[in-house]
Amino acid sequence: MAADYSLAVELRGVVKRYGEILAVDGIDLNIKPGEIFGLLGPNGSGKSTTMKMLLGLVTPDSGSVNVLGINVEENPVKVKQLLGYVPESARLYEFLTGIEYLDFVGDVYGMSTEDKKSRIDEYLKALQLEGRERDIISSYSEGMKQKIALISAFLHRPKLLILDEPLSGLDPRSARIVKDFLHELKAQGVTTIMSTHVLEIAEALCDRIGIMYHGKLLALGTMTELRQMAKLPSSGLEDIFLKLTGTGDVRAIVEELLK
Amino acid sequence: MNWKNVGRLIRVDTKSGRLLRGRRLTRFRESRLYTYVLYGGALFIGIAVGALVGASYHTIAAMDTKLTQTELNFFFVLPTLVLIYSLVFTIFQQIQRSGAKFSTQAAYWLPITWEEHTLASMVANLFGLLLASIVFIGSAVITFSLFTGQVALAISAVLAMCVAALTASAITEIIRVLQTRFTGAVYKSTGRAAIWVRFATTLLFFLVFYVLYFYVVSGSGGTTIVQGVSFGQQVLWYVPFVWLGLTLYSFTKGLLLQGLAFLVLSFLFIYALYYIAVLLNGRFGLYEPPAITVSSGVYAPRKGVLSKLGFSPPEAALMRKDLKAFTRRRELMVIFIIPIIICIAPIIESHGVTGHSAVFTFALVFLFPASFMASMAGSFMIGEEGQAVWRVYSSPISAGSLVKAKYFFVVFFPILIMAITGAIGFIVFHPSLRAVFVGLFESLLLIFTLGAVSLSDGIRGADFNEVPRPRMVDQVWSLLNLIICLVVGLAILSPFFPYVLGVGRSIAGLYQAALLSAVVAMIFAAIFYRLALGNAKELLTKAEM
Repeated sequence: MAADYSLAVELRGVVKRYGEILAVDGIDLNIKPGEIFGLLGPNGSGKSTTMKMLLGLVTPDSGSVNVLGINVEENPVKVKQLLGYVPESARLYEFLTGIEYLDFVGDVYGMSTEDKKSRIDEYLKALQLEGRERDIISSYSEGMKQKIALISAFLHRPKLLILDEPLSGLDPRSARIVKDFLHELKAQGVTTIMSTHVLEIAEALCDRIGIMYHGKLLALGTMTELRQMAKLPSSGLEDIFLKLTGTGDVRAIVEELLK
Repeated sequence: MNWKNVGRLIRVDTKSGRLLRGRRLTRFRESRLYTYVLYGGALFIGIAVGALVGASYHTIAAMDTKLTQTELNFFFVLPTLVLIYSLVFTIFQQIQRSGAKFSTQAAYWLPITWEEHTLASMVANLFGLLLASIVFIGSAVITFSLFTGQVALAISAVLAMCVAALTASAITEIIRVLQTRFTGAVYKSTGRAAIWVRFATTLLFFLVFYVLYFYVVSGSGGTTIVQGVSFGQQVLWYVPFVWLGLTLYSFTKGLLLQGLAFLVLSFLFIYALYYIAVLLNGRFGLYEPPAITVSSGVYAPRKGVLSKLGFSPPEAALMRKDLKAFTRRRELMVIFIIPIIICIAPIIESHGVTGHSAVFTFALVFLFPASFMASMAGSFMIGEEGQAVWRVYSSPISAGSLVKAKYFFVVFFPILIMAITGAIGFIVFHPSLRAVFVGLFESLLLIFTLGAVSLSDGIRGADFNEVPRPRMVDQVWSLLNLIICLVVGLAILSPFFPYVLGVGRSIAGLYQAALLSAVVAMIFAAIFYRLALGNAKELLTKAEM
């Protein structure tokens, strides 16, 4: 296991192109162990591609990606063993039951039988899925599917969590549990990288925030640092985001819609 | 009834139908030219076939006056035949669409009435290959009639064919809604056994319709049906399906009142079907089958037999997951149906054969169902992951483990099927023990080799799109896979060609042929397994979701 690392994530000059489209344009990024990092940006700004590169699912055209001290390109399986991932709108195996799915995930990560059982039981209880865990997933609501996807990311005690819109579809109680749980994991040294379009969540949860736009890391820092960058000392993340990404002029659009 | 709404819905449903036939959703572009090429091509081929048959018929008819009645019968049975054909075809289309409810669900929350929705669905069912085949038959029949001087009858028959197709579509609409409601009720009543009830009933449903489909499209089955319908139409006048044919018959024979009665009855019948379909759609159209609860009691994970066989936990987990996929997902059950049909067909065709033919048919039954299953299952194995493939991509599963787990699965089911079809072949054809051993040996070689070939192709051509239906393998790769499997299969069996042709006779030669066949199989299996590993590595590092 890679126990000896000073940075949980280290991106150096990472570039990724899809044909003519420059999805990620020379990103440098360091994320410390135990940090909750928010990766924000408009649709198509390169967030998902960056996250996939951390997982070894997309190979960068140039630059290097190190996760938990391991070069992702050289050893993707070892990296995946240490990660927990929830993609945006996670599609699950709908022909399995909830418990079968979690059992499958536990086996894939090589968890012991006892550990798997106790942890699955705990999570099902905490996220109020008890009683439905033996129904096939195709009959679950979107929120229930999201809970299963989250449990499958937490199950094997990962060192790094990569969560794309993790609270999407969750009821308030479950969302609160997940938020508190992420804080507890932070205390245990688990790093979280999350992407969300709900800026209030990012503001409340994240230690640092990176704003991506057109494949570049436009701004990076704590909320205080971002306020200074945007020269909006008392504003929330929404105003900062809109100003930095140049998409703030929404008033005219709203007035047009009201006509 | 808002006819504009009906028109809009038909366009949506038709587009969905065209997507089902093979275009990638992300690359789909409307091309009127492309759409009409299908019908234009069918029209052109129909005219050519009609002219060819007409010219030949004209020559034969000049020598045989009895043919006039046969050609009249042919026109009379056309509507009934088209009705049967359309029914089977539209049912298959609905089965394909069953996994694609998301693509058409939007219609349910728009201000559209069930009358509009049902009518549009009935009409849209006809577009595509079904309409093209009706255009083909229609143009062939009208061209043919120019040679026999029965143009008016031919045009009437073509119009009746169109109405027959619409009748079939209405019946399919009714079956579709009832099937959803019925299966829901079954799941609810059978509790935990629902998953197996669904497996068995789906297999049976597929089997019946596939057998019917092959029977209709095969030459001998088609002829039997034409004869049967021709004789039976007069006797079974009270069955609504033959009323259109009887309308034609009555008008041609000058029985105007009878013809008019059957015509009115035909239209009343189709309206009644439409009305029932609307009622059922209104009642059960939005019905969601209840959830299937698979097990009860306390959850207790077990270490399965796969771990004891030396598979790593991720490999064993993948295999267990795939086993559940193939017994629970309707679109995957086809791999069980095709081998059964491949097994049944030669047994029926060769009833009572003995000697060399019996050994040859036994070899067909022993070798082909399982090998065909291996070549199908392999090509599906990666693509069946669908949009949930991110789970494989993001899990600590190496390319080696992925290929190993999938390959084991690809050969596992075919070996089971081989045992069953081999036993059936043995009981039916009583081959010698030597023939059984050679058959067993070659069947295993084919399964292991074609499994590796198709897995390699299936990884390369994996198609994870699930809307409008899970395709699992790209069409080009599916075709390529069939060709490669055919070539490799023939290469493996080639040492036995002298025996098939009746030239080889010696026992020593037989064992040499088996040995040579094994060497060929092992070389191909090793090459394609390595190719599969390479393809899997590429798949896992160029993961696109």
